[in-house]
Amino acid sequence: MKRLAASLLPVLLLTVAACKKAEAPPPTPAPTMAASTTTLPAPVGVKSVMLGSAIGPDKRVTTTSDVFTPKETIYAVVESDGSGPAKLRALWTFVKGEKTAKVDETVIEFPSSGPSVNEFHVTKPTGWPKGDYKVEIFLNDGATPAMVKTFKVA
Amino acid sequence: MPPEDKDDDMPDFSDVQSGASTTAEGAVVHEIYEVKSGDSLSKIAKRIYGNAADWKRIFEANRDTIKDPDKIFPGQKLKIPSAN
Repeated sequence: MKRLAASLLPVLLLTVAACKKAEAPPPTPAPTMAASTTTLPAPVGVKSVMLGSAIGPDKRVTTTSDVFTPKETIYAVVESDGSGPAKLRALWTFVKGEKTAKVDETVIEFPSSGPSVNEFHVTKPTGWPKGDYKVEIFLNDGATPAMVKTFKVA
Repeated sequence: MPPEDKDDDMPDFSDVQSGASTTAEGAVVHEIYEVKSGDSLSKIAKRIYGNAADWKRIFEANRDTIKDPDKIFPGQKLKIPSAN
C-alpha cells in the first residue's frame, strides 16, 4: 500500500502541474477607446438686430438709431450664425394703441455655413406717418419672433 | 366678393418699397405680398415691378399655391421675387 501511494505521488504531482499549465491565461484587457472629440456644428441662430438709416459696404448700420424722420430709409441689420438652412423673415408693423397695420414683409433664404450679415430695408416715397413701429425677425418659420425691435418716426 | 374692411384711422402703406440682401452666398430674397380685393397678378406686377407683363415671375414663384394665374383671392400670401 505504501508502495502504491509512493508510486502514485509523482503522477499526482505531474497532473497538478499540468493543470496549472493548462489554465487559461488571464484575459487581455479590452483596448480602451479614446473619447470622441467631434463637435457638432451649431444650428442657425439670430445673434443681433440693429436699426439705422444707412449701412456700409459690410452691410452693417453706420450709426444705430431708433428714431427716424419721415423721409428716411430704415434698415434692420440681422447678424446670424450657425450651419443649416436659414430663412429670415422681417415683418414691419405700424402700431397705434392696440391697432396694428402691416408695413412690409420680406424674406431672405440661404444655406448658412457661418456668420452672415443680413439687411432688410423699407422706404416710403410719400413719407412715413409719425408714430410707433416695430420690426420682428422670424427664423425658419418660427411661430414667435427670434428678435423684436421697436422704433419711432418723429 | 365682400367689401374689404378698411380702417380709416390707420395709415396706408401700399406705396412702401422694400429690399434685402445678405453677405451669405446662394441667397434668395422675396417679399411677401398679401392679396387684396380687386388684385390680379398683372396689377401686382405693375405696382411692384412697373411692368404688368412680369406677372409670370410672380406666378412661377408661387406654383405651389397658385394653380390658375387668373384665380387669386384676398388674404392669399404670395412670394414676390426681388426685382434684382
